[in-house]
Amino acid sequence: MKRSPLASAILWFVLIMGTAAFVFPLWWMAVVSLETPARAEAAVTGSAGIALFPPDPQPANYLDAIRETGSTPWMGFIDALSNSIVVTVLVVIGTVLSSSLVGYAFARLRFRGSTPLFLVMLGTMMLPGQVTMIPLFLLFRQFGWIDSILPLVVPAFFGNAFFIFMYRQFIAQVPESLVEAARVDGLGHLAIWWKIMLPLCRPVTAICAVFTFIGTWNDFLAPLIYLHSDENATLAVALNGFKNQYGGLEDVHLLMALSVLTMLPCIILFIAAQKTFVEGLARGAVKG
Amino acid sequence: MATVTLTKVDKVYAGANGAEVRAVDGVDLAIRHGEFCVLVGPSGCGKSTTLRMIAGLEEITAGVLEIDGARVNDLPAKDRDIAFVFQNYALYPHLTVGENIAFGLETRRTHRSALAAALSGAAGARAAETAEIKTRVAEVSKTLGLDTLLHRYPRELSGGQRQRVAVGRAIARDPKVFLFDEPLSNLDARLRIETRTELRMLHRRLGATIVYVTHDQEEAMTLADRLVVMHKGKIQQNASAQECYDLPANRFVAGFIGTPPMNIVDGRVEGGEFESNGVRMPVGRLMAPRSCALGVRPDRMRLVRPNSDHSIAATVAAVERLGDRTDIALDSPWGRLLARVNADDAAHVRETDAVGVAFDAAHVHLFAPGECGARI
Repeated sequence: MKRSPLASAILWFVLIMGTAAFVFPLWWMAVVSLETPARAEAAVTGSAGIALFPPDPQPANYLDAIRETGSTPWMGFIDALSNSIVVTVLVVIGTVLSSSLVGYAFARLRFRGSTPLFLVMLGTMMLPGQVTMIPLFLLFRQFGWIDSILPLVVPAFFGNAFFIFMYRQFIAQVPESLVEAARVDGLGHLAIWWKIMLPLCRPVTAICAVFTFIGTWNDFLAPLIYLHSDENATLAVALNGFKNQYGGLEDVHLLMALSVLTMLPCIILFIAAQKTFVEGLARGAVKG
Repeated sequence: MATVTLTKVDKVYAGANGAEVRAVDGVDLAIRHGEFCVLVGPSGCGKSTTLRMIAGLEEITAGVLEIDGARVNDLPAKDRDIAFVFQNYALYPHLTVGENIAFGLETRRTHRSALAAALSGAAGARAAETAEIKTRVAEVSKTLGLDTLLHRYPRELSGGQRQRVAVGRAIARDPKVFLFDEPLSNLDARLRIETRTELRMLHRRLGATIVYVTHDQEEAMTLADRLVVMHKGKIQQNASAQECYDLPANRFVAGFIGTPPMNIVDGRVEGGEFESNGVRMPVGRLMAPRSCALGVRPDRMRLVRPNSDHSIAATVAAVERLGDRTDIALDSPWGRLLARVNADDAAHVRETDAVGVAFDAAHVHLFAPGECGARI
C-alpha cells in the first residue's frame, strides 16, 4: 500500500518531533559537557539560553572529569568503573541463570503447589522496592555485608520475578517432544535446561541481560545504601560526588562529561543487542 | 536387536473430576528380535500411550514391561537403550543436522569434558571418541542421503529432510529398539509413500526391532511384520497384516482394516441364511438361529441384473471412477453398501440405475453383535 504524500509528511513530522523530544536531553547533556565552567553553570541554572552547539568546545572536560572522580585523582574513576563492571556483570549472570532455571522449573516440572508458588512469585512484583528496603538492610547488616558488593550481587542469584515469568512463558511454548527427545538422548533436567532451553531462550536472555545491565549500571539507590567507602562506590554513586552536599553546581560540566561516559556502554549494548532481539523474533516464527 | 514384552500392562490417568481414565487396558504383547511391529487404531485407542510406556516417557500403572528379558518398568528412558522418532521430529532447532545426529552420542561419551580429559591424561582417548562419533555421523548421513545437509539448521530443511534427520538421529546410536510415533503423518501423500518404502528397506538393512505407531491402516499394513490393532485401550487383534485382513478377529478389526472399509450389516442368521430388513442371503453354513452382523469386503461384491437369484435389489447412489476400478455406493434394504468393481464391468453404470448386488457365501464374515463382536 502506498501512502499519499500528505500522510507521509504528517508521519515524518510526528516521528521527527517524537525523536527530537527524546534526543534533546541527551544532546543538551553532551553540549553542557563541552562548555566552559561558567557557561555550563549558567545553562543549568537557566540564566543563559539553551545553546544547540557549544561556542567554545572544551574536550579537556572529559579528562578533567575522569581525573576528578572520587577522592584520589585517576584511581577514583578506575575504582568506580571496575566496581560498576564487576557488580553489573555478576548481577546479569546471576539474573539470567537463576531466572531461566526457575522459569524452566515452573514451565516443565509438575510438582505439588507449583501454581500457588507461581502466583506468590508474581505477587512479589506488586511490592514496591521501598517496602523491603529497610528489612533487607537490617538483614544484610546482620550478615555483615554492609560496604561490600554482596547485597547488590547475591539477590540477583535468587531470580527476578518478571524475568522468571518471561522465561516461563517462553519455555512453556517449546514443544514437549523436544524435552522428551532430550530425555531419550540421556539428559536430565539440569542438562536439558543448559543444553536445550538456554540456547533456545536467546531472545529472552537478550532482553533479560540488556535490561538487567542497564538497570544495574544506572542503579543509584542500592549502591548508595550499601556501599559507604569511596573505593567501593560504583560509577552512578561517584557521579554524585560532583554535586556538593548543598546541591551546588559549580562542576556541572564535569558531571555532564562523566554522565556521557557512564551512558556510553548502555547505548552501545542496546544497539548491539537489537540484532539479537530481531533475530530472536525471526527464529521463533519458524517452526524448528 | 532385542525383544520387547508387555504383560498385562495398564495405564490409568486421573481424569477430570477425579474419574479414572483407562488409556491402556491389560495389554499383552511379545515382540520378537528384529520384528517390525505396528500398533494401529483410531485416535485415543491407546497406541501412542503404549509406545510412550515402552520408551519410558510415560509411567506404567500396572503390569510388566521387559526389554530383552529384563524388567525395565522403573528404568528412566535414557537407560532403556531405545530411540524414539517423534511425529513432529523434535529436532533441536539450535543445532545443525550433524550436531543433531551426533547429540545422543555426545551425551553418552565417556570423556565429556575436553578439559577434564586433558587434565587426567585421557586427551587421546577423548580424541579417539570424537573421531568415532564423526565417523558414525558420516556413515548415518550417507545412508540417509543427508551428507550434503550436515551444516544446515532444521529450519532450512523440507519436511521430508527433517524426517530423515530424525531417523538419522535414531539410528546413529544403534539402539536395541526403535520406536516411531506417527513419523509420516506430517508429510504430504506422495512423500509419505516414498518414505514408507525407505523405512521398510532400512528395517531390512538394520534388522532392528521396531515398534511403530500409526492411525493410517494402509501404512500399517504395508510396513508391518506384525499388526496390532488397538481400540479403547485393548488389543483387538495381534497377527500378520494379511491375517488381520482375511480373518479379522472381530467386527472392529473388520471395519478398521481395509480400504474402503468392509460392508457390515446387522441382522439374524438362521438355517444357512442371513436376514436383515426382510432380505435374505445365503451364508454357506448351517447355524443355530441367532442375531449377528454380516460383513463383506467391497471388492467381493458383484453387480448383477436386478431381481437375479440371491441378490439384493439396490439403487446406485454414487459412482466414483478410479481408473482401473470403480467404487459404487448403493442404497439397498440393507442400508448403504459399497461395491468396488472392475472399471470395465461398471462402464455402463449410472447414478439412480436399479441394479442387483450379490456376493459369494465363501466371502462372508459373521460377527457377534456389538461394536467389538467376535468373529463367528
